[in-house]
Amino acid sequence: MTLLEQVGRAAIVQVEDAGALAMQFWSVFWKLPRVLPVVGARRRWRSAVEQMLAIGASALPMAGAMALCTGFILALQSASELRRFGAVELVVEVVVIGFTRELGPLVTALTVSGRSASAISAEIGTMVVTEEIDALRVMGLDPVEFTLAPKYLAALITVPCLTVLSTLFGMFAGYLFLAFSMDMSLRIYFQAVAEAILLRDVFFGLVKSLVFATIIVHVGCLEGLRVRGGPEAVGHSTTAAVVKSTFLIILADLGTTAIFYLLGWSSTR
Amino acid sequence: MTTPGAAKAGDPVISIRGVSMSYGGRRVLDRVDLDVCRGEILVLLGGSGSGKTTLLKHVLGLAKPEAGSITMNGVDITRCSQSELSAVRRRIGVAFQGGALFNSMSVEENVALPLRELTRLADSTIKLVVWLNLIAVGLSDAGSLYPPELSGGMRKRAAVARAMALDPEILILDEPSAGLDPIVSAGLDELILFLKRSFGVTVLVVTHELKSAFHIADRVAMLYQGRLIAVDKKEQFAGHAHPRIRQFLDGQPDARPRVATDEFIASYLRGSKT
Repeated sequence: MTLLEQVGRAAIVQVEDAGALAMQFWSVFWKLPRVLPVVGARRRWRSAVEQMLAIGASALPMAGAMALCTGFILALQSASELRRFGAVELVVEVVVIGFTRELGPLVTALTVSGRSASAISAEIGTMVVTEEIDALRVMGLDPVEFTLAPKYLAALITVPCLTVLSTLFGMFAGYLFLAFSMDMSLRIYFQAVAEAILLRDVFFGLVKSLVFATIIVHVGCLEGLRVRGGPEAVGHSTTAAVVKSTFLIILADLGTTAIFYLLGWSSTR
Repeated sequence: MTTPGAAKAGDPVISIRGVSMSYGGRRVLDRVDLDVCRGEILVLLGGSGSGKTTLLKHVLGLAKPEAGSITMNGVDITRCSQSELSAVRRRIGVAFQGGALFNSMSVEENVALPLRELTRLADSTIKLVVWLNLIAVGLSDAGSLYPPELSGGMRKRAAVARAMALDPEILILDEPSAGLDPIVSAGLDELILFLKRSFGVTVLVVTHELKSAFHIADRVAMLYQGRLIAVDKKEQFAGHAHPRIRQFLDGQPDARPRVATDEFIASYLRGSKT
């Protein structure tokens, strides 16, 4: 095979990937209303709630701990620089802006990606191997509506919630640092946070977290559905799901941040 | 469910005409013609890689053939719309090889699933239908168990119960006796015969188990390398002269593959010493 052929073939695979992602997204998008509690089909909401517990609630300790550590690291790193200018109080700004815009959504997404992208692809991959997906089709039940849509809805609801919580954890870590290093009281810290926080930043963070949630559940489902052959293929698919979703999250983060920057929305104050 | 006049025993319910399929340049199905007639048990025999699983996937509408047609109850499922396909599928019950039960649901819930999702029956009615189906397959006391807690034979029975839940005209079983001990397997054969006798259901069984095939079948068909090499009443089939069928029935291995002989190994060892 010539080099040109190799490059071409790899490119075709990538384009196919992108096309499959887009098609699956479209088909699930139209099924989402069926999962909603009142207007949707019977029993889908219940499975969406189960998924919310699996994707969201049980990820809280991990996401919280990671946000606490990241917040503390951010405070430590920025304080050592800011101290040279005698402006340690600005740590509050750094932590608040860093977390609402960037770290809150990112840390949460990476946690959920590690936990749930793999879990989702393993679950769906196993269903493919054991012919459960085929069984659904033959029974006349749409696997997209039955298994995929509840997961999408669950991720779209819980990941932003987790993002808010882990942002709070990150800011709390900033408070811990300032309380230890310069005896800042909680009341003063709150005031400083209230001054630094911008509704616009929070909004951008939540938009990002929605994008990340879509990536996680989407890649997990697609990799699961792609499983062919035996149980060892499920293992490969879980690895691929985590690697791809993590990479795509970073890529999407870059993309959204660049868009916000170009629109001039990220210039401070 | 059937239209009056059309429901004569002996009419073909599934007719497969000239179905061909290939994967990656390899012919998996080669112009297969096969009829499954109303009220009969047709056993599709074939070794591993003979194409029987592929043919089954086509019959279920999970794959589209490159050429040919598959007509079920007068609808060509290779060319019909999604809604027509769904309507045809409502009359088919399928028990997959591993059972394909949903692990997050109990046996009862698994059997109830098609009833809950596809009918408007009241809960009490559904409970009754589930209970009757579980009795029919001999699992009346295992309804609250979850699939991982079931033995292989129970899982297959549960899958049959789920397949029978919507009272199908056609029951399709993929390798019902694979991985089961002879006693459990014989029990499953009895179950298939019982379902045919009491519900008049048409049964298509895909298997490589000879003993059970000849016990339950009205007719036997054999696939070899994607071609249907024989379809016959089981009595005639047993006397068939085709060399592949004789080989399959007698359980003979393929021509001996080339293996290293003792002399070759000895000479190799001698050579490596010097």
